[in-house]
Amino acid sequence: MKNKTKTLVKCVRCGTPIESCAFCDEPGCRTPTCYECVSTVLVQAKRQPHTHGG
Amino acid sequence: MSPRAAWRLESLGFGEVYDYVDGKVDWMAAGLPTEGTNAGRPRAGDAARKDVPTAGLKERLGDVRDRIRAMGWDAVVVVNEERVVLGLLRSKELDGDADLHIEQAMRPGPSTFRPYVSIKEMATFMVEHKLESAPVTTSDGRLVGLLLQQDAIRLAGEK
Repeated sequence: MKNKTKTLVKCVRCGTPIESCAFCDEPGCRTPTCYECVSTVLVQAKRQPHTHGG
Repeated sequence: MSPRAAWRLESLGFGEVYDYVDGKVDWMAAGLPTEGTNAGRPRAGDAARKDVPTAGLKERLGDVRDRIRAMGWDAVVVVNEERVVLGLLRSKELDGDADLHIEQAMRPGPSTFRPYVSIKEMATFMVEHKLESAPVTTSDGRLVGLLLQQDAIRLAGEK
């Protein structure tokens, strides 16, 4: 039986090994980014509609 | 709003105050309106094309391709009867064998983005990743629209 292992690439932002880019999911992505980094960048960029202590 | 804020508003005399249990981010993820100083900032949901064509899993690729290209589109979102996104076909997948079913030809489980995401960051990411389109969905996976790179760039004021 052959073990088929997926080739891992490194997230360009944090270096975490990932199977594919979480943003575009393209196998040949030249700027692979992990889910964590995509979420962080996109969510941190989100401004709250108003500020309060919650 | 938060329970504390809701109680405070009631103490100030507001009559109809509700605690939205799923939170503000979920409210915005549903594409619902917001108020405040940052409410006017353009977001992915504002630019997403709501008229994006959709297809079902069992449709024939050739039929879908003819239908959507006649409408001037080069992408189609695969949804179920609840309008939950199951897949996506961009130009590359649309050029497949006409006799395939959509579920055989589609890109399954595409990355999706919430409507509240800043259009500027989306535009930057889409250019960096050469991504021509990205589905925008609510937090429960229902299709809001398809964000095209050209629309994101235009709205973000980038060129």
